Amino acid sequence: MGEILLGLFALSIGAGFIGALSGLGGGVFIVPALVILARLPMKVAIGASLISVVATSAGASVAFVRDGWTNLKVAMVLECATVTGALAGAYLAGVVPVWILEALFALTMLQSAYFSFQKQEDDLIENGDPISKRLHLGGEVLDEDGKMVHYEVVHFPTGAGLMVMAGMMSGLLGIGSGALKVMAMDYFMHIPLKVSSATSNFMIGVTAGAGALVFLARGDVATSVAAPVALGVTVGALAGSKILPHANIKALRMSFVVILVLIAIEMGWRAVRGI
Amino acid sequence: MAEVQERTLNEEDRIMRVWTPILLRTILIASAIVLVFGLFLMATKTPTFYVERFRSIQAGKLHPNETFSQDISEALNGDPHSVMTLGLFILTLVPLARVAFCFLLFLKERDYTFVGLTAYVLIGLVAGVLLGRIG
Repeated sequence: MGEILLGLFALSIGAGFIGALSGLGGGVFIVPALVILARLPMKVAIGASLISVVATSAGASVAFVRDGWTNLKVAMVLECATVTGALAGAYLAGVVPVWILEALFALTMLQSAYFSFQKQEDDLIENGDPISKRLHLGGEVLDEDGKMVHYEVVHFPTGAGLMVMAGMMSGLLGIGSGALKVMAMDYFMHIPLKVSSATSNFMIGVTAGAGALVFLARGDVATSVAAPVALGVTVGALAGSKILPHANIKALRMSFVVILVLIAIEMGWRAVRGI
Repeated sequence: MAEVQERTLNEEDRIMRVWTPILLRTILIASAIVLVFGLFLMATKTPTFYVERFRSIQAGKLHPNETFSQDISEALNGDPHSVMTLGLFILTLVPLARVAFCFLLFLKERDYTFVGLTAYVLIGLVAGVLLGRIG
């Protein structure tokens, strides 16, 4: 028993650690680790990962909320979209063939790798769109000079549409879909990057929670796997977030991209063999 | 009027920023304690059973689904699997409790737009359980 548990802990701590350092979250790494290295079925890996994503989101978002980085109103509005997508995704995960899940996972890995190379600069807007203004979604953030600047939110319908998609990917694949959420908020809705990251982190818990409840109620969560994985990923994510401020992320980014592409190839190959 | 509205928004934000982290951390710690306890029980009471369980999961056979009340009563009797399931259920309470807290706060502040939005998310989370039961 000890060897299996230690192995699961090691994989989970590693996935949580890399997930926190890369900013992509532990789910992206723990699902392939459980499938490829622990030889567990894809659906068991997805169920365990969803539970661990709830735990890491709760752990990581505490500091962001307390320090004011999270835009709570944006999170609550967009959660309506992500929860809708997550319920649909988690339901579909129980009925679609495994090779489709593997193929989608491979594509998501490539999207995450592409996201890692995107330019990351804030482009703040002073006039929000009518929906965002009505919901008071704008906020304030410290700029690079330490000055408090106001921002407004635009392209709300596009952002909400992308959030439905992010939620669906989360429920289908057991990941937080943080890369897609941050891209929607930062690139399309013009929310500052740091606020987008903190808000995405906060939303991930509710999104994954919706998916996790479907999996738990359906009996698709293998408790003996999910318990050590949830604990391990959370420990790894906490360790990663402690090291993050001192790490040379630019240097690490290339190795993350290589890992993501390798995972995409392996999952893509599994999908092709499963057709 | 605008000033009163602004003050209400700031108060809502302040309360959420103080209480949300406390809520998240408390439930997270509670679930971690229950999960560690469940793993400890499993390691001490049924170590060979864990290996058998893991091998059957690898083969795609999951533990049969039990009702929540069955899990609670078996957890109270010290069944490791039920204790861990209880820990996982507590963990999934994190988002549910956080949204419920915001719902009550918006209700208190009479911010009915956000009462509706948080109610939608709450209903969605509860619907997840029903969807899992039928699917």
